[in-house]
Amino acid sequence: MGIVRKIDWAVDKLSSHLLVVSVLVILVFSTLSIVLRWFHINLQWIEPMVRHLVFVCAFLGGVLATGKGTHIGIDLVGKFVEAQNWHNLKTWIARLIMFSSFGVLLWLIKAGIDFTIIEREFTKDAGLGVLQSGDLVAIIPIGLSLIALRFFLLLILSFEGDKI
Amino acid sequence: MSALIATGGILFLTVLGVPLFIIMSLAALVAFSFSGVQISAVAQEFYRISSAPTLVTIPLFTLAGYLMAESRSPQRLLRLTEAGLGWMPGGISIVALVVCAFFTAFTGASGVTIIALGGLIYPILVKDGYSEKYALGAITASGSLGLLFPPSLPIILYGLVAKVDIDKLFKAAIVPGMVIMIILSLYSIYNSPKSSVKKTFVLKNFFAALKDAWLEAILPIGVLVGIYGGYVTVTEAAAFTAFYVFVIEVFIYRDLSLNKDVPRVIIESMSLVGGILLILCCALGFTNFLVDEEIPTKIFALMKIYLTDKYSFLFFLNIFLLIVGCLMDIFSAIIVVVPLIIPISAEFGIDPIHLAIIFLANLEIGYLTPPVGINLFITSFRFKKPITEIYRASFPFMILLIIALMIITYIPDLSMFWFK
Repeated sequence: MGIVRKIDWAVDKLSSHLLVVSVLVILVFSTLSIVLRWFHINLQWIEPMVRHLVFVCAFLGGVLATGKGTHIGIDLVGKFVEAQNWHNLKTWIARLIMFSSFGVLLWLIKAGIDFTIIEREFTKDAGLGVLQSGDLVAIIPIGLSLIALRFFLLLILSFEGDKI
Repeated sequence: MSALIATGGILFLTVLGVPLFIIMSLAALVAFSFSGVQISAVAQEFYRISSAPTLVTIPLFTLAGYLMAESRSPQRLLRLTEAGLGWMPGGISIVALVVCAFFTAFTGASGVTIIALGGLIYPILVKDGYSEKYALGAITASGSLGLLFPPSLPIILYGLVAKVDIDKLFKAAIVPGMVIMIILSLYSIYNSPKSSVKKTFVLKNFFAALKDAWLEAILPIGVLVGIYGGYVTVTEAAAFTAFYVFVIEVFIYRDLSLNKDVPRVIIESMSLVGGILLILCCALGFTNFLVDEEIPTKIFALMKIYLTDKYSFLFFLNIFLLIVGCLMDIFSAIIVVVPLIIPISAEFGIDPIHLAIIFLANLEIGYLTPPVGINLFITSFRFKKPITEIYRASFPFMILLIIALMIITYIPDLSMFWFK
């Protein structure tokens, strides 16, 4: 389990650092573009860059929410089971949630890869220099893969102790 | 048959607590597969969200709210409002309502208000002579009170999903938000303890508190003047707000350290934002599928049999949304339910802006509706009180909010007079 825990820690740290850098870049460049406009300077690449960074943040935030178990869900059964203090059942429900989430994410990653292949065939200018739309849509399968990996690692780690 | 099994499976996973973005993705993948559409269309819907120009407002306003909540801003603003309003009958309770509304408007009623401010407000209310039950109820209700004030995150999200002007929504929500505040303030006055020591307004104290907190106190006014004065767009206001709050909290007040606190706050706030944006990405595919399949039109045709006019529809809508509000959090509800009710409401002649205000006011109540209103759980967790005690404490507030909802629903001019 040691190696699994280390990989999970590394994914968490990588996502956290990337997220902090992305948010600070969004903050600085969003403000900068407004200030520059006062001086009639218009850097057109800032707006698409910021939008795509927000898109990246959605996935990175998702990776962290997976680790913290704070994804938004309608947890009717979980709340009931918790109120009854049925710890064992709660643990198995949590495992089922992680397993099914991992499975659905694999299907979604397939959809993301298919879309990336199609987009690369008909790639177009995204206003970000060398980066074309075909490159940028790869954010989807990569981001989903990180979330899927986190679910998978947590599923394995859930067998380490009695409770999650 | 297979569609029925798939629907049953998805519903089972939903009540089990599988993250909503997974549920929405699964629903979209299954629906697209059954109808013979390539599943890459689901990923294409994901990517569509990255082209929304107002998308950046969500992380920026949320970051601003979290930075303020983590600083000493709640204490400063509490002192300021106490110095300004504390002399009134029920003044301390009104102070709590005002400060909570301020923070909820920036943090999007994600529980941060109760966590960050509850611990400050609760002892003040009890010390002033309010009953423990009243204090707990007031804090639970206050946790979602600023939802109708700019730059509320749910309003921005609603605008994005429903494709309605966000600045128009901000404007339309102000008076209904004030109606809720006034009704709760009157209840505070009615409940004000007779035994409490009468406070007087001391100008010197007020100015001292204002000197301390003015940089934060001018923020909502700045946002409103900036947007409606035509100086900045909503997106620019979000960038300025986040940058301004970052600078004052880190470099002027020095409440947050750049190395330790700022990364922690960014990670906390973006976990929430990431969760919301993922649901938004995933739900777009599924809800567009439902709209393409003309599901809202079919529901409307069914409704027409039982609901004959606009008012009976509004009554039904309120009950439906109250149920939605106590089962789903506001962000999921906006993303999932709004695309379906917009076409139906339009058929009944309800303006999309008025619908937005009704929707948000309903969901505001959902936060404290038993059995699963999220504010009830947060207060129970924060104050280590049994959930049933919190149910009882927040019940009068829920009734008052329902009265406010009826006023907002059946007097559309409260929301719409700006646009006549």
